[in-house]
Amino acid sequence: MRIKKTIAGAALATLALTALAACGSDSDSDDTSSSDGPKTADIRVWLNGTDTPQDARDWLKTTFEKENPGSTLTIEQQEWDGLVEKLTTSLSSASETPDVVEIGNTQAPTFTSAGAFSDQTGQLDDLGGDDLLQGFVEGATIDGKTYAVPYYAGSKYIFYRKDLFKAAGITAVPTSMDEFIEDAIKLKKANPKPANFSGFWFPGQDWRNGAAFIWDQGGDLATADGDEWSGALESDESIAGLETAQKLFTEASGAAKDGNEADSWTPFCAGEIGMVSAPGWIKGLILDPKTGCPDTYGKEIGVFALPGSDGKPAPVLLGGSDIAIAAKSKNQGLAQKAVALMLSKDYQTIMAKAGLTPALNSLAPLLGDDEFAQATIAAASNAKLTPAAPGWANVEGSRVLEDLFSALAQGGDPADLAKKADDQMNSQLNG
Amino acid sequence: MSRPTRRPVRITANVIGVIAFLVAVFPVYWMVNSSFLDRNEIRNPVPTWVPFGGSLHNYRTVFETDQFVNALKISVMVTGLTVVFALGFAFVAAVAVSRFRFRGRMSFIVTLLIIQMIPVEGLFISQYKMLEAMDLLNTVVGLTLVYVAGVLPFTIWTLRGFVAGVPYELEEAAMIDGCSRTQAFFKITFPLLAPGLVATGVFGFIQAWNEFTLALVVMTREDQRTLPLWLTTFADVNRGTDWGGIMAGSTLIAIPVVVFFLLVQGRMVSGLTSGAVKG
Amino acid sequence: MTTVEGGKAPRARRTPLPYALLVPATIALVVALGYPLVRQVVLSFQDFGLAQQFGRPPAWIGLQNYRDLLTDPYLWTVTLRTLLFCLVNAAATMLVGVGLALLMQHMSKPIRILVQSGLLLAWAMPVVAAMTVWEWLFDTQYGVINYLLTEIGLDFEGHSWLLQPLSFFFVATVIVVWMSVPFVAFTVYAALTQVSEDMVEAAEIDGASGWQRLRHIVLPSIRPVLLVVALLQVIWDLRVFTQIYILQKAGGSTHDTNLLGTYIYRLGIGSGKFGMAAAVAMFMLVLTVVLTAPYVRAMLKQEEN
Repeated sequence: MRIKKTIAGAALATLALTALAACGSDSDSDDTSSSDGPKTADIRVWLNGTDTPQDARDWLKTTFEKENPGSTLTIEQQEWDGLVEKLTTSLSSASETPDVVEIGNTQAPTFTSAGAFSDQTGQLDDLGGDDLLQGFVEGATIDGKTYAVPYYAGSKYIFYRKDLFKAAGITAVPTSMDEFIEDAIKLKKANPKPANFSGFWFPGQDWRNGAAFIWDQGGDLATADGDEWSGALESDESIAGLETAQKLFTEASGAAKDGNEADSWTPFCAGEIGMVSAPGWIKGLILDPKTGCPDTYGKEIGVFALPGSDGKPAPVLLGGSDIAIAAKSKNQGLAQKAVALMLSKDYQTIMAKAGLTPALNSLAPLLGDDEFAQATIAAASNAKLTPAAPGWANVEGSRVLEDLFSALAQGGDPADLAKKADDQMNSQLNG
Repeated sequence: MSRPTRRPVRITANVIGVIAFLVAVFPVYWMVNSSFLDRNEIRNPVPTWVPFGGSLHNYRTVFETDQFVNALKISVMVTGLTVVFALGFAFVAAVAVSRFRFRGRMSFIVTLLIIQMIPVEGLFISQYKMLEAMDLLNTVVGLTLVYVAGVLPFTIWTLRGFVAGVPYELEEAAMIDGCSRTQAFFKITFPLLAPGLVATGVFGFIQAWNEFTLALVVMTREDQRTLPLWLTTFADVNRGTDWGGIMAGSTLIAIPVVVFFLLVQGRMVSGLTSGAVKG
Repeated sequence: MTTVEGGKAPRARRTPLPYALLVPATIALVVALGYPLVRQVVLSFQDFGLAQQFGRPPAWIGLQNYRDLLTDPYLWTVTLRTLLFCLVNAAATMLVGVGLALLMQHMSKPIRILVQSGLLLAWAMPVVAAMTVWEWLFDTQYGVINYLLTEIGLDFEGHSWLLQPLSFFFVATVIVVWMSVPFVAFTVYAALTQVSEDMVEAAEIDGASGWQRLRHIVLPSIRPVLLVVALLQVIWDLRVFTQIYILQKAGGSTHDTNLLGTYIYRLGIGSGKFGMAAAVAMFMLVLTVVLTAPYVRAMLKQEEN
């Protein structure tokens, strides 16, 4: 009895404690001032990771401050790791929100549909109009309004070992999907040692590379019927794509059946990889003596864009970043000017020269004309985005596709697995 | 502790001790070992067991910018304040609930326990909103506040156990000898609590020193970063993670904890042998 | 034989002193946790997503979140999994931790210091580094553990430790126990230093065996600390998050290895369903309370006597 009283007392105390605190701390400030904000201010720009070269940062700061006397621009370095947590909290705060943020292009739709960013439709023409990477613009557009603009792009392409190609009797890089699969299996057979050698390195969780095989067969991850999204993995085309992936998993790949795609240069430099689909910057890591193997396997690198069944580059997943203005920012006008500078020819030229596919199509030639630049341009030419469903983040958040591909790699039945994944996605795609 | 232990018992204990030491320390060793290696040696089909021929390259990277020193300052401030306030608040509260009987005492204890049970995975967003309302985002004070509240329930509960472990009769005896109640408490009980204070202090120190999620959202400005946040600058998913840098940074982060422990560990073995309570 | 009856408090006196002593802690808790707790409860009755986070007014949906949740069989699978994981881990941690603390008393001084520093180093290791190193040790391709097992002649080349859920949870248990033992061992060892030596000696003279001394004198005197540590261990192991989250990225099937902690996270930050995540959190709180109630009850009852 005494205990009961105690628990009741505790409950009361908890209530009192919380009731006390409830007073006074509710402060959803309604900041709906439609003006452009003050004439001068400090504009805070969040850039993630180290992709943006230092030259570009310096140029942005000095140019902005010259063109807007009295105002300053501060670049605040953030990390990709934990970015969603930070954006979820900071963008909701009127006092601490940054003014301009960089965001991953597949993360953008979730935040745009939640109203975290300002409408930039009116500025689109001034920022480049049709010259902007259209896939990015579409991904950030809902109901005809665009809430984020492209910053830079980059798609994965195939790195291969020239010496192994030669040794396996492959004389030219594959020009169709069938040839690619054939070569991958041939490489694996030609290199029985080490046991984990990969003709095509394909770890089990890697659905981002795997999606290309589905798209190549004409399938899709999810499709919309009007406003209603549903999983599309059960379609015949998608299953054909999944079967292709499974064939590569079982006959061409020696990677971990449940591994992820990070650090692919490690097995490459251990001599365990014939071909791997990787982002362009991996080249720098392979050729750096402290991280890679410039004197051994690194000498033999060649690249090409993954070929599709029709002989054109295959539709691979498009990676990259968007730029957006925080809806809660008090400095909308100045933030707009900063975004305009980041999409200017001068700034994007610096980005292109650093090897990033620029946001403006017309600047793509600046990437150069070596084989790496050509592969970059070719891979991006037919690249696709993840479905623009409002609940796509749920699918990624619960890792449905990682589980699907990993089960596929372990030899599961494609049709069964596709149905299971579709069922899970159907409850998630519509938010 | 000077009670003699029989030889076979001692030998068995020593052997198990050495095994425990090896298991506990191996991952730590691997961290330090990796911190001297280049990235292509860290992950390799054949492990590099000892860092012969290694370099200080990773440590040089750490000190290339002033970011480390900056983060160190913030972390020291937050952790120091957290430990001092949490221990102070918890100590008096623990004395109250274990040396006094009063209305609401049990309720207080149970409330603490329930607070301790609340899952925190979703709480940080609400705590962010609260700090925003208090205008304490990106401040040492704000982060300290949530950390103190975070370790308080645990600290009170544990210290309470320690206070309860000191027989009240000892204090009574001292009171018969003419001490006042307060005197008796500080002369007799307090020295006996030193190990408990050390154990909970170390706990609070490590919690605050290594906390990540709250710091991540609260301290977004570069000059307000704590050490665990600084560590993530080495993990750049778009450029490949600098494992050597992470391991070197982690080694540096672990050192102050060890120093802190060495400073206070003498207190862990005081116990009843201190002689204050004979009779 | 006398046993130590710890913590008999003096008779109640009408004095405001104890209340005054509770003031600082109470204020700190109310200020820092009051509002977040209220909000957590409120959210669980709302349809609160990312859009609401950025200012769209949330809709009240009563018990809808709870109804959706409790009728989802997946929640119950995850709950059962969480309970089992918690029990195994808490028991293993307590066993190893208390065992080590008792043994430390019998070790030679240099060895004891060695063990203490080893435990402290493990405890002090930043979580990011600890998880990375453990991931490497169990790595399928380059893991030291597979390397060693293969060296001694077993077929562990390319063995995936995370592929099967049972094996996944074994690895998780090793890591969780490794991370939690230092705390238990330190705290219990600190408590052991409080045990009256005179009493133990007296018992020895009375002819009590080592086991009897442990059972009747040592354990009863550290009982308060022991109970708290065990309880905390259960609570923490129910909430385990970081270790599972990072291991899921490294391998295994996420769907088959989610525990309540990662499930809440994937619903909240992962999917932006904050209302739903809050409801799971409340569910988990109730679960913890119910689960530990008999234990807490016994603990408090003992104290009342």
